[in-house]
Amino acid sequence: MFERMLIGRIENRVTVGLVSFVLIMVFLGWAAINEGGRMQAFQVMEEARSIEQGAMSFAANCTSCHGLDGRGLAGKGPALNNPQFFGHDFFPEITRQISTLNTEKTLITTERNDAATTDARKAEIDARITEIDSEIATLNADREAQIPDLIAKGYDPARFNRLTNLGWVGTRDSFVLTTLIHGRPVSVNYWPQPMAAWSQTAGGPLRMDQLEDITAYIINWDKGDEWTLDDLYAVQQFALEPVDGAPLEEQIRILQESGGVLPEKVGTNVQEIVANLAEFTGDPVRGDALYHGGQTSQFGNTLACSGCHIQATNGTGPMTDGTLTRASTERLNESQFAGYTAEQYLIESIVNPAAYIVPGYSNVMLATFGDQLSYQDLADLLAYLETTG
Amino acid sequence: MSVLPFPSFLDDVKEKGLKKAVFELVDESVERLTAGMNIADLREAIRGEPASRKPNPRLQPHADGFWLHMRPSYFHADMTGLYPTFRLGWLSTYLVFFETITGILLMVWYTPSPEVAYANMLNILSNVPMGQFVRDLHRLGAEAMVLIVSLHMVRTYFTGSYKKPRQFTWFTGLILLAITGFLSFSGYLLPWDQLALWAVTIGASMIEATPPQIVGDNLNLLVRGGPDIAANGLLRFYLLHVLALPALLFVFTGVHYYKVIVHGHSLPPKKENIGEDTAKRVPLDKRVYFIPDVLTSEIMWIAVTTLVLTVLCIWFYDAPLEHHADPQVTPLGTTAPWYFLWIQGALKLGDKVFWGIIFPGLILGLLAVWPYLDVTPSRRYAHRRFAISFFLGLISFVTILSYMGLAKFGVATSPDSEIMHELTFPPAHSHVGKLLPVPYEQLVTGMYTTRQSEGDDADVSSIVNAFNEELNLAYSGTIVSPGGTAATLGAGIQDVLSSQHLEVSSINFRSVPSDAPELKKVLDFMAEEIHHNDDYLVNGWGAIVISQNQSNLKRVDLIISWDEVELENGQPVLDANGQPVIATDADGNPIRRFNTSHVFIHEDALYFSH
Repeated sequence: MFERMLIGRIENRVTVGLVSFVLIMVFLGWAAINEGGRMQAFQVMEEARSIEQGAMSFAANCTSCHGLDGRGLAGKGPALNNPQFFGHDFFPEITRQISTLNTEKTLITTERNDAATTDARKAEIDARITEIDSEIATLNADREAQIPDLIAKGYDPARFNRLTNLGWVGTRDSFVLTTLIHGRPVSVNYWPQPMAAWSQTAGGPLRMDQLEDITAYIINWDKGDEWTLDDLYAVQQFALEPVDGAPLEEQIRILQESGGVLPEKVGTNVQEIVANLAEFTGDPVRGDALYHGGQTSQFGNTLACSGCHIQATNGTGPMTDGTLTRASTERLNESQFAGYTAEQYLIESIVNPAAYIVPGYSNVMLATFGDQLSYQDLADLLAYLETTG
Repeated sequence: MSVLPFPSFLDDVKEKGLKKAVFELVDESVERLTAGMNIADLREAIRGEPASRKPNPRLQPHADGFWLHMRPSYFHADMTGLYPTFRLGWLSTYLVFFETITGILLMVWYTPSPEVAYANMLNILSNVPMGQFVRDLHRLGAEAMVLIVSLHMVRTYFTGSYKKPRQFTWFTGLILLAITGFLSFSGYLLPWDQLALWAVTIGASMIEATPPQIVGDNLNLLVRGGPDIAANGLLRFYLLHVLALPALLFVFTGVHYYKVIVHGHSLPPKKENIGEDTAKRVPLDKRVYFIPDVLTSEIMWIAVTTLVLTVLCIWFYDAPLEHHADPQVTPLGTTAPWYFLWIQGALKLGDKVFWGIIFPGLILGLLAVWPYLDVTPSRRYAHRRFAISFFLGLISFVTILSYMGLAKFGVATSPDSEIMHELTFPPAHSHVGKLLPVPYEQLVTGMYTTRQSEGDDADVSSIVNAFNEELNLAYSGTIVSPGGTAATLGAGIQDVLSSQHLEVSSINFRSVPSDAPELKKVLDFMAEEIHHNDDYLVNGWGAIVISQNQSNLKRVDLIISWDEVELENGQPVLDANGQPVIATDADGNPIRRFNTSHVFIHEDALYFSH
């Protein structure tokens, strides 16, 4: 019956085929029109499920150091569910003001270093710089006064972005993923348990897709503009940074040797350093080792001055040989160093390298040595430099 | 005088006028393309009119054209209806091309490496326009192909078409059936999800059972490309799927169809005298010409089939994609694809070598040589009572074995784990754990107990309060929890959750809010399942603990707690009254057990749209 009615006659077959074909095209068109929306919805759904999977892995693998709620565990691991981790600035107005002041300071400092600037103008600029410094200090103090407990817990409102602090130039996703893949090789120095390499690529237990899920989960903590100070107060442990801290064992060694008292850092005040340095006798052999990176400073920092100051050739910086001679015969003759001793000039060049740039070189030397050297370290370095003639 | 230095179309235009010249050009082109039929011939054919010129131009494409030289120019009228072929052979052929085309489209977006295969799938689904549709078509088409090829074989058996002289045609058909099965199966692994990995692991482990052991071990290594399926295994399955098996399929399709043409399509059994084969002797009045009758019929059938697949794939069917393959996590209730379930069922009958290798081998072997064993001349149904009964018996047996292959048959899983699985399993085919589709806003933070589902709605608050008090009482038996020192059931719950990295500061159960009916349904389901298994889950209750994990992510913990019973072979030991025997600790007190499982549910995960 069906057969005869519908498909027994050729015109019926042609009709059924044509109708089917037209319907296919209509339905395909309908599906195509909705395809954009469908793909978008799928993307959203897939990201949500990735976060769910990441949550499972995070609970099982990460919570013992980073806390059940991701807010870190004091002394164990840093918070990820943390405004600082996502670079949220709670005091954008103060940040803006400080930034404006710093810009001004840079501009007038350049003007001051210009040979054409008159002495009267220089005096004016010096006064303004003092003023700016004090304004910045007030702003900083204001900011810190608003969150005193957090400062004590290791939060620095001036350094509100974890990634900037680390000098990370990639995205936050890549920061998390990279950390998960390779772990933190040096973290053993400042955490009881180092951040292990979690990827199978690096010998860990997890697959890439699992790490991507965990990344999605961690990034999902970001509240954007909706972070509150409560979130900041809830943080149990802020991130530590390896850059300034000496390796743990080195610090312990120094503590033991000095009978429990850490040596003083020299800081950046040249007058004060010169005064205090009189008590110390330099050892040129240790100074040599410090200079060439063979030994670390008493705070565990490798100085490696010789990386830039090559022995007998001018490199990134002036050559090592003849440092003292050049200081006393060339630099001290310049008007701005009136009243300086060669030693004073060298000290200033080490702790505050931007104060004077030798013609032909640029301002690339780090200004952190005041924090890395003890008086003994500095005395040894100077003793060594005296031997270079 | 020619317009150009050689005779050209322009001369025609000049001579005959534009309209006539263009028509003649088109007409001639059509005639060349069809290898013999011009526009008027086609028109007549489609209108069902007899050919108006001699010799019959509708025979010309069979003689001169490549594609139609493979097709007979006329068929026997008795086999052009729906019966006896049901067009199954033609649809099988169509699906081969259908799968080839959709498969090539998918190949463009796919890399056979465990590192990226799954990400490729997600990309196809979320970023390739109509990617999901083509994948659905390919997957559904593959399932349809297995089904249609199987039905084609069943039909051939029932009409006795395998009998002399078509024994070898049947044999090649059986090879095509096997290739179709393996093609479909080898495609299973490619998405590199849990479904893929574990279904194929089961399949490969059958190969491993091949005796003697040295052969099995090496076959297994050869197929998996290592002790476990990984990058090598995936690449092998991919190459099998896109190269080796299709090549074999095309070759045997050629042989099979050649044999069909050589012997002619067998007629319905009652149309022939017993022992005769008159398929090739078609009287003039019984001839149905390929053009236009059979051709329109075939095109109509593929149009209808494509329409059905299109409708199904747009509105009703999505090819499954589970979580990323994870060799560390064996999902509960893994099964082979449906067309191999019968082997999985057979494996539950006993010896792996016999039921997994020899038995399927015997069945295929028997089918392969069947035409040479069954040499009775008659193809009439009435004369083949034994053969037809035997085959119906075989179909029933395979169906029963397939049922036995299902996960729910004969696999001992403890009821508590089974209930957890029922509630939380990730989307697989069209199913998903009962908890996941609960709308996000109905997952209200708090602790809920199945006790609520056991009592009257009016008493809910007193039931829940009583439960809270019970949890705070000192427990007289032994509580088996990860901490091991819980003195109250409440502390036991805290212990259990803590082992799953969830801190709960206090135990405070509450009743399910009235605006969370879906959550209540899950709780009811849990209560019902615990009740059904009360010979194992004695004095059992379940709990659901919902907590906010991130601003758009909730965590749901499930707990089942019960008094341990004595077990024998995984079954509870019953006393004289048919009651389970409760296990006791050294002091003769009951032993309290906990099982727990948890999932995270994101606001946008949309499980409920399934």
